[in-house]
Amino acid sequence: MAAGGVHHLAQCITCHAWNADMSMVAICPNNNEVHIYKASVSPNAVWERVYVLDKHEQLVSGIDWAPKSNKIVTCSHDRNSYVWSLEGNEWQATLVILRLNRAATSVEWGPQENKFAVGSGAKTVCVCYFEEDNNWWVSKLIRKKHHSTITSVAWHPNNVLLATTSTDSKCRIFSAFIKGVDARKDATTAFGDVKFGEELIQLDLACCWSFGAHWSPSGNSLAYVGHDSTIHFVTDVGPTPRARSLSLRHLPLRDVLFLSETRLVAGGFDCNPMLFGSDKNGVWEFISFLDEVKPPAETKTDTMFAAAKGKFKWLGSENPSEESTLSTTHESCITMIRPLVPLSERHPENPMTLFSTSGLDGRVVIWDLNNVGDALARLRL
Amino acid sequence: MTIRFVFLQANTLRPYLTCIRNTLTAAMCLQNFPCQEVERHNKPEVEFKTSKELLLNPILICRNEAEKCLIESSINSLRISIKVKQADELENILAKKFLRFLSMRAESFQVLRRKPVQGYDISFLITNFHCEEMFKHKLIDFVVAFMEDIDKEISELKLSVNTRGRLVATEFLRQFT
Repeated sequence: MAAGGVHHLAQCITCHAWNADMSMVAICPNNNEVHIYKASVSPNAVWERVYVLDKHEQLVSGIDWAPKSNKIVTCSHDRNSYVWSLEGNEWQATLVILRLNRAATSVEWGPQENKFAVGSGAKTVCVCYFEEDNNWWVSKLIRKKHHSTITSVAWHPNNVLLATTSTDSKCRIFSAFIKGVDARKDATTAFGDVKFGEELIQLDLACCWSFGAHWSPSGNSLAYVGHDSTIHFVTDVGPTPRARSLSLRHLPLRDVLFLSETRLVAGGFDCNPMLFGSDKNGVWEFISFLDEVKPPAETKTDTMFAAAKGKFKWLGSENPSEESTLSTTHESCITMIRPLVPLSERHPENPMTLFSTSGLDGRVVIWDLNNVGDALARLRL
Repeated sequence: MTIRFVFLQANTLRPYLTCIRNTLTAAMCLQNFPCQEVERHNKPEVEFKTSKELLLNPILICRNEAEKCLIESSINSLRISIKVKQADELENILAKKFLRFLSMRAESFQVLRRKPVQGYDISFLITNFHCEEMFKHKLIDFVVAFMEDIDKEISELKLSVNTRGRLVATEFLRQFT
């Protein structure tokens, strides 16, 4: 079992986020609240709920916890977003002026934590920054180009490029450079000087809704999944990117996480995280499932004749009731994967081996890749 | 003669149900999706069909001309419509009455639709909220078991109607002999 601790916290978990030293986790138990638990990665720990953040009126669809400034940003289907900061023993909420007229679906802090992006059902992305004079968070909207709801947003490590995926099946990369917030030198990216809101690349690799965009630690690669059971890897993201798409025989995926430049883990409706890796030529392949699934017990038949007779019996009359059973750790779709290695301990050569997944079964599961019986993957790691 | 007919029917039942089960496993990948058209709303997209990009291709699985199953899916909801075998007038009436009885009590079934889709006998509407509360594989087991049981129920009903009719007729005509 590659799974570390399994923690059943609610009936259903929409999203989760860890703090800087992985001692606390914020989850949304499929309602308008955010629950913060005192957590630990050891398998037998019992997590204790310490705070309940209760400002939103509808489902909280996205949570992100900034490691350096210890601020939490949440966004919800009620078109609002709040930035929470810990003052003493209480979390204080600051309203963010999003100017949205539809639900917000996902949120992520930029790497330097002076900006964050919110994707919404209004086909716009809001890039928010803090305005000192008025003491609130203001947003700039990227209104063009999206034809449908935005499902996820992902910041490039340079704090300027933003990737978005949408239910119009495309993944797009925009510039989110804001004058006054970003230094002038940051504006030069692989694409040259770019203005705010300019669409730099549109990736049309999936045939169905796309989800889960994520950049690799260096920002050289981008991965996202499509609901047509595909996963797409784009390397050398710049004016001439290279893409590789894998069509899987399994149920669609929902979220991805780069563990290193060459390793990626993805989870989805199969309830089983999948490990992908790229070889020295940069070609991505599926390596293995991470959860050891026990095959269902087979009814034994003693002789060939009995087996043949059983086949006819089954074909003709009352069939035996088919009981489907689950044998994976997660009993329902995995919706979010988060790294469990503190920022200070992440090195480009050292791939992450600890990550957590949360799903619609209400469980947060901690995975430790060191336990995976995948000697081959470890060799190339 | 009758025995062979039953065997043939049973021959196609297993593949039909397996096909439906596999299609449902793929189509029931639902998630919460806030409405794009109206703020603060959350509607089953397969019923309203306002945004074409949120709908998947409908699949029609036919066992023969009389029996078929339509599966329409979208990002947050799934609609399964079933046309049940109706060989003669009596089965027609029985099926209609029985399924109407069930549909009127759709509240207690949760996943049943009050009115069947045009051209079908009974419909299910499964939303992401059902998938969050209940296990997906159990929902699929329920739908497939439902389809098997419907056929059995209607055959039993037909048998009991015929038996009762025969008894009543015998008793009635006895007074004339």
